[in-house]
Amino acid sequence: MGALQSVPGHPEYVDLAEKTGFSFEQIGILHKRFKQLSHNEDTLLREHFSKIPNLECNPIRSQIIGAFFDRRNFRQDGEGTVEEIGFEEFLVIMSHFRPPTLHMTEEQRESVRRDKLRFLFNMHDTDNDGTITLEEYRHVVEELLSLSEAMEKDTAKSIADAAMLEVASISMGHMEPDEFYEGITFEHFLKLLNGFEIESRMNVRFLNMDTTTLCK
Amino acid sequence: MEDFWPLALWALEIWLYLIVGLIMVPAMFGFSLGVSETYMTVLVKTLEWATLKIQKVYAEERALQASASNGSGLIKREDGSMEKELEELRRSRPKPPVGGDFTLSDSFYFTRRGIESIVEDEVTQRFSSEELVSWNLLTRTNVDFQYISLRLTLLYGVGILVRYCILAPLRITLVCIGLTWLVIGTSAVGLLPNWRMKSWLSEWVHVMCYRICARGLSAAILYHNRENKPQKGGICVANHTSPIDIVILCNDGCYAMVGQVHGGLMGVLQRAMVRSCPHVWFERSEMKDRHLVSKRLTDHVNDKTKLPILIFPEGTCINNTSVMMFKKGSFEIGATIYPVAIKYDPKFGDAFWNSSKYSMVSYLLRMMTSWALVCNVWYLPAMHQQAGEDAVQFANRVKSAIAHQGGLVDLQWDGGLKRAKVKESFKEQQQKQYSSMVVGDESSSSD
Repeated sequence: MGALQSVPGHPEYVDLAEKTGFSFEQIGILHKRFKQLSHNEDTLLREHFSKIPNLECNPIRSQIIGAFFDRRNFRQDGEGTVEEIGFEEFLVIMSHFRPPTLHMTEEQRESVRRDKLRFLFNMHDTDNDGTITLEEYRHVVEELLSLSEAMEKDTAKSIADAAMLEVASISMGHMEPDEFYEGITFEHFLKLLNGFEIESRMNVRFLNMDTTTLCK
Repeated sequence: MEDFWPLALWALEIWLYLIVGLIMVPAMFGFSLGVSETYMTVLVKTLEWATLKIQKVYAEERALQASASNGSGLIKREDGSMEKELEELRRSRPKPPVGGDFTLSDSFYFTRRGIESIVEDEVTQRFSSEELVSWNLLTRTNVDFQYISLRLTLLYGVGILVRYCILAPLRITLVCIGLTWLVIGTSAVGLLPNWRMKSWLSEWVHVMCYRICARGLSAAILYHNRENKPQKGGICVANHTSPIDIVILCNDGCYAMVGQVHGGLMGVLQRAMVRSCPHVWFERSEMKDRHLVSKRLTDHVNDKTKLPILIFPEGTCINNTSVMMFKKGSFEIGATIYPVAIKYDPKFGDAFWNSSKYSMVSYLLRMMTSWALVCNVWYLPAMHQQAGEDAVQFANRVKSAIAHQGGLVDLQWDGGLKRAKVKESFKEQQQKQYSSMVVGDESSSSD
């Protein structure tokens, strides 16, 4: 299995490294962070996330936090939500944000891309029906735009409607006046973001780390 | 067996005389017999040796961890502002012919920022103890360190023995003597009529007791720039790490304390101290009334015979890696501010009081079973509020000076976030910024 960098005392990291692709060092750091956030308990609850001031200032914090407790993101083909997560689930969610390594084939890059886009899609598809409906879309717009500025709910609504119309026209081409656009499915989502270099934008890069992963 | 009790009593007597003779008396009069210096030298050499040993075994890994646990950058963040990044995100998409400038991809920017703050943020790490670069042979800091060599483990064992069986009882005795003497001494001075001698005596009693307490914690304090020491009629502000800061500062001068009236042992101390020289103690109900607080402080400061007030404007204990927002109350009074920076050396013992994790008593016991308490105190030149500067700006200026001197990170966040939630107005800032981008654009493009 190539040059295994063994850390004495943490045999469980080997499994995690294999599963998520993080190096031992990165797993160690994220473990420390997990313990810090959960106050040294074994599981993380939603309220632990609300202790992070920077996150509290983020307009879409509830979706971000929700993504951690969404079983669709645990790579086990599950569905629904959970109330608390352990370190393994935390790490799996974080692995969605790993940057692609340098020596990846085109196929691997494509799958990384799909994976990241799937994560982002799940974040907005809150009722888990496979489409981002107009309601859910409107919800995102409302969260991002400030309600306190002299902006009324109608403005947000009209911005959302206009954007949705544009999406419909891109995905479905020309629509008859009585055709109803149900929502953005995952395939439409992929099509919309075709030129978008998500694998280089949706990353969290660790500094000064030994980022060698296990050779497969 | 019958001989045991008299023997034990005799041993106790000898023990007390030794303490009084070798430690208390020198402490009271401010000179040193060199015992603590020797102890410190031995300690430093031992820890250095231990560090070298550990590093030899884990050479590369420690180096990597050292650079990582410096706190300033686990992850690489984009330096761009919100506008710049959103523009980049949108570049690959054509501008929509109709409607506002909103696309779903805008939310990706916020998602990434959110995940970054989950991995690492500036604030939550300030409320737990600082991580050590290398193990200092204390059980409490033994996080990942594994068995390295027999000698090191032996040293660790000897260390436990020394700290718990020899040093801890010694220190506890000293602190008890110190506090008792404080109560008795200040009450005695309080009985005297108001001669000029009284204030001199009261200062002497205070400093003496704090010196005994400092010995009781094996504190090695280094004062810098003593020509800038706070004068009467001013306010001394410092960064707050633990209640021991008071002992550290009062070893070198006399201050008037500010605080809430407590019951129990603290209450006894407070009442005793007030008898010999004026301190500012508030009832719990009075603390809420900002005008009253301000007025009492102003009155104290304006009376030039009273000692300088000691205030910790952060309002709560921070872990000595950063300085958090200073509350503006003490900066509105208009008095001369004497900033002081206190930096502890974490190698010898962690001074941070994590009040959610440890009670006061267990914290003090932990202090007494560490190796020692080493810290540097810098007196900074006096600062005044400048024309056209409001209290908040003045507070920030003082805070930056203290952070710069002590080598601490200067943060804008409020230390109160340890317990409270973020204010609503902060939360909406990002929303406002984003809205002005989207709606602002729309009003210019639609016609």
